[in-house]
Amino acid sequence: MLAQTLMLRFGEDGEELEELVEVAADNPILPVTSELFWGAITFAALFLLVKYVLLPPVQKTMQERADLLRADLDAADAAREKAGSVATEVSDQLADVRAESAQIIDAARAEAEAERARIVGAVEVEVAAAKAEAEAEISAARQRAMAGVGPAVADLAADAASRVMNRPIEAGAARPVVDRLLNSPN
Amino acid sequence: MELEFPSIDNLVKWPAYFGDGTFYAFNKIALISVLAVLIPTVLFKMAKKDMVPRGVQNIVEGTVEFVEKQVVLSAIGPEGLKYTPLLLSIFLFVFFGNIFEVIPTFQMPANARMANPVILAIVAWVSFIGIGIKAQGLGGFLKSSLFPPGVPTALMPLVSIIEFISTFLLRPFGLAVRLFANMLAGHILLVTFAVLCITLFQPSILAAILPFSFAMLVGLVGFEIMVSLIQAFVFSLLTAVYIKLSLHAH
Amino acid sequence: MSILASTAAQAVELAQELNPEEAKANAAASGAGMAYGLAAIGPGIGIGYLVGQAVQAMARQPESAGQVQTTMFLGIAFTEALALIGFVVFILLKFA
Repeated sequence: MLAQTLMLRFGEDGEELEELVEVAADNPILPVTSELFWGAITFAALFLLVKYVLLPPVQKTMQERADLLRADLDAADAAREKAGSVATEVSDQLADVRAESAQIIDAARAEAEAERARIVGAVEVEVAAAKAEAEAEISAARQRAMAGVGPAVADLAADAASRVMNRPIEAGAARPVVDRLLNSPN
Repeated sequence: MELEFPSIDNLVKWPAYFGDGTFYAFNKIALISVLAVLIPTVLFKMAKKDMVPRGVQNIVEGTVEFVEKQVVLSAIGPEGLKYTPLLLSIFLFVFFGNIFEVIPTFQMPANARMANPVILAIVAWVSFIGIGIKAQGLGGFLKSSLFPPGVPTALMPLVSIIEFISTFLLRPFGLAVRLFANMLAGHILLVTFAVLCITLFQPSILAAILPFSFAMLVGLVGFEIMVSLIQAFVFSLLTAVYIKLSLHAH
Repeated sequence: MSILASTAAQAVELAQELNPEEAKANAAASGAGMAYGLAAIGPGIGIGYLVGQAVQAMARQPESAGQVQTTMFLGIAFTEALALIGFVVFILLKFA
């Protein structure tokens, strides 16, 4: 039927065209003039409204939001970069401080070591001097004691020997022997 | 029990509210077309201009963004952004023409009548031809659309005829018929199950089928809402694709 | 094809019994049913295949799902047009 009506439409006979109008009114597929009219008017109205009145403010708002977002993102990026540089700076400083403190500690330790060595050395010297003095004193005292003890021991030994041998022993003769005995390391 | 299916004239033809018989006869279809202009206008005007969108502003900006991203950018690319108003108004007009299919007291998709699809198809046809002529010049546009490169000379006349038919006749015909037939089929489908429900609603053993019929009807309403959206999307997407094909010699 | 032939034969048979108007309506109705039924076969298979391939593509490359989806809708729109033309023929035969 569509083919027929289309054929009718392209026919030249006026009566057939009138017939077409009647067919079109009955056919559920062909458009109706009044609906075409209203459809055209309303769509034209919608298009003009959307193009000149409705869409621009919405697009402007969306564009503003996009710009705002981009600006915020840029600011965030900049802040992040800045934070990064500050962090590296801080860590650099920290490393510097750490190196410096290590240096100071090393120096202090070396100084303390030197001081200790010096003090220990001085004390050792002092101690050695005191020790030597004491040893000298001891040996002097020993000498003195030996010197004091020697004649008495010689006399005693000579006396004892004379008593044992029943003959008098000259104290002067016993003396060198006693001294030798006393001085020899036993 | 007899199933009385209403005649198709009862399903898609509506009496005029005024101006019966004249070229400005105002019936339900015309009313839906007017609402398809008024509702977007009111929604866009209600939308505030906050940096943090809420409520209506979300809906409006979501729609605009959907058309920009899914239709304009995906079919044409950044150079097509200047056609956003056209594609957005096509999208809105088709969608509101469709969605009245499931709105109570209307229950009629405006696009189940051939008038609005034809108007929109003509708009799309004029747009892609006009944009093509503007972008490539009349000769360049005809050459690129009728004489595709890489075709043997012997076949060129045949290919040209086929290209002419497919580009200048089948494209608008396909656009209009796709939208019209989808909505009419959906409308008839809903009517069928509604009529079935009404017929089954009586004291009879067959009333046992009623719940299934009703569940089907409810499911189909959801399906038709989806179809409304998809058809609006497809119509604007196809228009965008045709514009894209007109913009450059291919 | 034999179904077609037998339906046509039935229509002819009916035509002999009924008056011409009714016979025409009957033939148109049976033709309408067949027109839509036959028109739905090809696009049905085509859309099924198309969506299946699209799902496969999206599963393989989820990052390009948006592009695949848009192209899928375009393909469905073109394939579906055939079935819809069948539906229009149905309406024409049945009601016009």
